[in-house]
Amino acid sequence: MAESTMGSAGARPTLFLRNATGLVKAWSTFDAFVYSFWSVNLITLGLYGMSFVYTVPDGQLLAAILIFGVLTTFLVITYAMLVSVMPRTGGDYAWQSRVLGGGLGFVLAITGWWFTLFLWAPIYANILNVQFFLPLAYTLGWSSVATFFTGQTGLFVSCLIVLAFVSVVVTLGMETYARIQKVCFWIGLVGLVVVCGLLLFASQSDFQAAFNREATALFGAKDGAYQATIDAGTKAGYAPHDFGFFSFGPVFLLLPWLAFYLLWPNWGATLYGEVRGAKDIRKPFWSMFWGLWVTILLVGLVMVLVVKTMGWQFYNAANAAFYAGTAPVGTWPYPVMFAGWLIDNHLFQALLILVMGLWFFGWAGTLFLSSTRVIFAAAFDRVLPSWAANISAKRRVPYGSLILMIVPSVVISAIYSYVPKFQSVFLDATAVLAVTFLGTVVAAIILPWRRKDLYDASSVARYKVGGVPTITVVAVITALFLLFMLYEWSFNSSNLYGTAFQSTLNSVYYFLATYIVAIVIYVAARIYRSRQGIDLSRIHHEIPVE
Amino acid sequence: MPKIFFATDLHGSEMCWRKFLNAAKFYEADVLICGGDMTGKAMIPIVEENGHYTVTIAADRQVVGADRVGDIENQIRRRGYYPLHVTPQRLQELDENADVRKETFQQIMLDGVRRWMTMAADKLRGSGVRIFVCPGNDDEMEVDDVVRESDVVELGEGRMVEIDGFTMISTGWSNHTPWNTHREETEEKLGERIEAMAKKIPDPSRAIFNLHCPPFRSGLDEAPAIDADLKLMHGGRALRPVGSTAVRQAIDKHQPLLSLHGHIHESKGAVKLGKTLSINPGSSYEEGILMSAIISLDAKKGIKSYQLVNG
Repeated sequence: MAESTMGSAGARPTLFLRNATGLVKAWSTFDAFVYSFWSVNLITLGLYGMSFVYTVPDGQLLAAILIFGVLTTFLVITYAMLVSVMPRTGGDYAWQSRVLGGGLGFVLAITGWWFTLFLWAPIYANILNVQFFLPLAYTLGWSSVATFFTGQTGLFVSCLIVLAFVSVVVTLGMETYARIQKVCFWIGLVGLVVVCGLLLFASQSDFQAAFNREATALFGAKDGAYQATIDAGTKAGYAPHDFGFFSFGPVFLLLPWLAFYLLWPNWGATLYGEVRGAKDIRKPFWSMFWGLWVTILLVGLVMVLVVKTMGWQFYNAANAAFYAGTAPVGTWPYPVMFAGWLIDNHLFQALLILVMGLWFFGWAGTLFLSSTRVIFAAAFDRVLPSWAANISAKRRVPYGSLILMIVPSVVISAIYSYVPKFQSVFLDATAVLAVTFLGTVVAAIILPWRRKDLYDASSVARYKVGGVPTITVVAVITALFLLFMLYEWSFNSSNLYGTAFQSTLNSVYYFLATYIVAIVIYVAARIYRSRQGIDLSRIHHEIPVE
Repeated sequence: MPKIFFATDLHGSEMCWRKFLNAAKFYEADVLICGGDMTGKAMIPIVEENGHYTVTIAADRQVVGADRVGDIENQIRRRGYYPLHVTPQRLQELDENADVRKETFQQIMLDGVRRWMTMAADKLRGSGVRIFVCPGNDDEMEVDDVVRESDVVELGEGRMVEIDGFTMISTGWSNHTPWNTHREETEEKLGERIEAMAKKIPDPSRAIFNLHCPPFRSGLDEAPAIDADLKLMHGGRALRPVGSTAVRQAIDKHQPLLSLHGHIHESKGAVKLGKTLSINPGSSYEEGILMSAIISLDAKKGIKSYQLVNG
């Protein structure tokens, strides 16, 4: 019966709990941190995203990362508060549906967590190629393998490998994958320490010599590849600035690039379990906060070491030359591979790439996790057919949702691989998710008024800033941040991010197509279900209490 | 033909119970079924001292005057907790004496169920709406007696009842859980309990299994993974199937038209297990949201339509 009491030590008890099903103790903040840390992946998305900062040569990277961290902290607070107000039913679809309405919730969630993730599959595959298959093949001298993966079919095969890996993870379940993630986390950290150690203890002249040596040995580059890379980058349009150069405006132009990896500490904010004190904002907040800020500290450290040992001008020039197709070393400038070159041993270099590859395999498995949940939720709401939520009897494979993810992803992957123009829309994948987040943030802004009953009953209701609910204040700041980035992605006059509407029709088509299809599905479902006597509009209609 | 409104795992949330009763009119339902676990999990003391009242709700300590006590009680009840008026001396006694706590908890829970039965009678007597409750594994056995006293609410536990040409059997018993609650037993005994009712059903294609525990590996039984210390594993993100194999076997064997479940709040869903539509509407009682299912039955079609709603 009354099994426990709660209250601060030495003080009066404030709650008597009895032993009842489902009452569990809070999750470890570290476990939740690991999940969030993987989502803002420093190596995979991080190094890939930062390979584009050469396009804003007068933007101070460290300042931009710090500003991004501060602004994303408001996103973290917003999501932590939503988890606190509506625990156990979290996730963008549920929050938006309950606050903004079922139709809007469906369109925003399904575009962000379903359609857009078709595009993330080839993005993941591209990262797998440039950070794993290609550097490994070049290092081991497997030139035919490297040639294969640089080709269109190689990229498509990588896409299929990613999709197969993700399907296996979905089939295994999160519990098994969480164990794999932890192993990857610790070994991956050891790899990062080795990379940082190599960069810390080597001088820039050591690196120049190592780069020149391996560029010739592995890629057949002429002697003096280090300087040739800088020259090629400059010729490709990179205008060098000192790393310490600061100019206020350009700092902000770096933010949309950084979003590619730093915008996701809230990835999979859904939490389960009737935790004693689950409505306490602290647990979800700290797990996401530390996931974000530990990454920011690490990325700051890595970039400072890259600047010290490789040189800021070289780093940016290497990226500029690669994307221009004129680099003496004809593969993506992977800083991990370059750091490994400081040791003149190809076996060690290959081992380092393998170990750092765990940053990919510990992270990529969750690609479709949120998608399957959103598809399930939409199927239970009868917006999607019920088979979308089917699970196989023996192995509990959610084959309905997997088919809905995998089949379109294969098609998009094929287009991505064989139609190079389509690759320009990769940042749209970030933008569409940012729109989904914006929907959730708008829901948070109006929550205290729109669902007053829910809000007033939550522990966050007591937090106010100048009489205004704190959730509204932090969500407004987050919304402005997201709107700024959406504006830059869509309308930047120089098409800096390759997604400006006026220059990249692919982006316009992609945006329009995803939202139109989502609206069509919802309207069709409303009409179809209506004929069955089911009114989809009443899913979230509150029953009167009195 | 009957339109059924099914909700479960209200766990003492008075707001959800009020919505449950109002659902008959709101959704034009003929039959209301509450699937079990009606009683709350916690008491919150309201300490009376020197003319003021001290209470802590969700880590927020408040000191209020007598005029606000009613409002505080409502706040507590809507979360599914029980308000408990105490003096500082009584609070100390409850803190120190487990037997006193147990006795107080039982009394306050049964008073709560009585209060709900009265509300049901006031709201729906003479309406023609049938109301069934079937206490779940978290409900003490004495709850059944309180429900039996009602002349409006019908007790489902262990019975086979007729609903407009359809037959419903019910039990709130579950397989064993880590919490060792009031109505738990081995899978074998649970299987025997269900079979004793199921074998009497004249036509499974017109049968409803109202079984609190969901079937094993059905997708309706995925609960957060916990360790031996009841601590959530993997950041609260990993799930495990914890449903009953006995319930699964009963459904697989008899293939009723419909099976209604609860117990696992996070595992909302509707799945087909052979010919059976199995539903767990989930529960968000703490938020005052009544997660539920509306099922329209038809003499020819069986299930005409169903919908999960968050009312």
